[in-house]
Amino acid sequence: MTAALRLSAVSVDLAQSGGLVPFLGRPRRLAILHDVSLTVQAGTTLALVGESGSGKTTLARAVAGLQPISAGSIETSSSAGGAAVRGSDLSLMFQDATASLSPRMRIGDLVTEPFVIARQPMTDRAGKAAELLAGVGLPADFAHRYPHELSGGQARRVCVARALALTPALVIADEPTAGLDVSVQAEILNLMTDIQRRLGLAYLIITHNLALVRHVAGRIAVLYLGRIVEEGPTARVFADPAHPYTASLIAAEPLPDPRRRRHDLAIKGEIPSILRRPSGCEFHTRCPRAEALCRTTAPLLRAIAPDRLARCHFAMTET
Amino acid sequence: MTPLIEVEGLSLSYRTAGGEVSAVREVSVRADAGEVLGIVGESGSGKSTLASAMIRLNGVNARVTGGSVRYRGQDVLALAHEDMRALRGSKIAMVFQDPMTAFNPVLTIGNQLLDFQHNRKASRSDKTARATDVLERVGIADAAAVMNRYPHELSGGMRQRVAIAAALAMDPDVLIADEPTTALDVTMEAQIIHLLRALRADFGGAIIIVTHHLGVIAELADRVAVMYAGEVVEDGPVDAIFHDARHPYTQALLACDPAQLAVGEAELPTIAGSLPDLTALTGGCAFAPRCARALPVCATRPPRVRLGQGRSALCHRVAA
Repeated sequence: MTAALRLSAVSVDLAQSGGLVPFLGRPRRLAILHDVSLTVQAGTTLALVGESGSGKTTLARAVAGLQPISAGSIETSSSAGGAAVRGSDLSLMFQDATASLSPRMRIGDLVTEPFVIARQPMTDRAGKAAELLAGVGLPADFAHRYPHELSGGQARRVCVARALALTPALVIADEPTAGLDVSVQAEILNLMTDIQRRLGLAYLIITHNLALVRHVAGRIAVLYLGRIVEEGPTARVFADPAHPYTASLIAAEPLPDPRRRRHDLAIKGEIPSILRRPSGCEFHTRCPRAEALCRTTAPLLRAIAPDRLARCHFAMTET
Repeated sequence: MTPLIEVEGLSLSYRTAGGEVSAVREVSVRADAGEVLGIVGESGSGKSTLASAMIRLNGVNARVTGGSVRYRGQDVLALAHEDMRALRGSKIAMVFQDPMTAFNPVLTIGNQLLDFQHNRKASRSDKTARATDVLERVGIADAAAVMNRYPHELSGGMRQRVAIAAALAMDPDVLIADEPTTALDVTMEAQIIHLLRALRADFGGAIIIVTHHLGVIAELADRVAVMYAGEVVEDGPVDAIFHDARHPYTQALLACDPAQLAVGEAELPTIAGSLPDLTALTGGCAFAPRCARALPVCATRPPRVRLGQGRSALCHRVAA
């Protein structure tokens, strides 16, 4: 099996600006992502989950070459060591589908724009547009419409068509179902799964919707304050989360069943600011199982079972 | 017992360039003291229009074409503007979806919490005490410090807590929350659900939760009204809605919630088709074109079938 994407020890630092920084000489570096290693196999889906502020979107931007990395390396299957070319090697689907489509362009031009940007010849632009729209289940006459004439679900389909135009090996989807109704959500997920089966492409899905992860992703990676705290096959992680943060996220999800209401709170407090990272294990401030060791010593990301990693001193291992 | 708030046969339409949009049609819902009413539906179902109608915030192009909204038996729709303003906020309060835009960015939280009490005859120090008190009630540990902060200095979850505090500042009887957790992370969502549940226990008024999220409804509501294309298609106690749904739309909606399915299901169920055009309704069942159980009779107006225990469904195919 070949990897569609391989991140090795990737870190992203940003210079802190404002305040007293200009007077203090060297700006402080803030670690947004720290030592992230991940592999997305060709034709599979990896979901990256975590709360706002965990670094999910920064990671996606780094993979897409929109965010310089300060250490490590990012390789895609087609880039052969060099930088991946957006559009043809990998493409992005942004969180706000409607806003990611230029309001002044027609849908037909929008879905074929990647060819223009990549300077790829296109003999029959209208035909190509119709073909791409058909691939996402939209009628050919949509090519003449403008983005504001589309519903949220339709705009999302156009974004899928645009992402697939140059048949990349990897699609990065940032919250692909955000803002959609449940019935439309399911349609988009089915479409993405169907396209994956047809074209064998890999997805890196960034989301905080765990219900979605369970259905579309073979593997899951959980980020907390820019570090991976757990990684493994989705079904096993959901059945038996090793890291208390993963367990809390799963438990926090509201269940559509009034007979199984939760009366205790799965997770208290908020994600700490990266300006004031907690000592030791960074999750200890919110962890229900924290002990003295957790406050002083940072745990390493270690194998806790075959094919599973967790960054916890007391990770629960499968029996 | 008079319900705290009761909507009866309400119809409301919006005048638009594309014609008259019948956003809410003959809707009846009620909420009693100490009760959480959940209103659930997808985009375009009219749930937010209904919520806004309860507090008369529908905008200038809205027209009520029938029915009533009564607060403690008093017709809210017939009130003069001044009387409505006195009622709004003090008796019926609303929490909006987006906690980022609910506050004025150039005023401190404390300033705004005092402003919200302008109808209260009390001294400034009383108002400050009340503001600190409501902030503590919504679980803000450092209330006095938060009073001096600006909205942008708070996280989304904190801001939504403050928005709830603001709604509680005047001690209302009815709290309407429109998608209160939609803009939040799952961890913050769980905390807001927890908070609303705690409030329900000591608040004594009625809470109305409007959302598209079935999980939130299941966690919070006592009774549920399911809306589709401007109508309440089914209503009843929360357990009945989730475990014994009768209307084909409710059943389909529950079936396509990804949280409902086992891990790794290959194909997720969907609801084929799309919402009907609300400017050109046929008079038949609005869901019939997408309904797997539709018969020719569904082209005519569906009856409201009473199912006992405050349950009903708007459907030809449901037997009483």
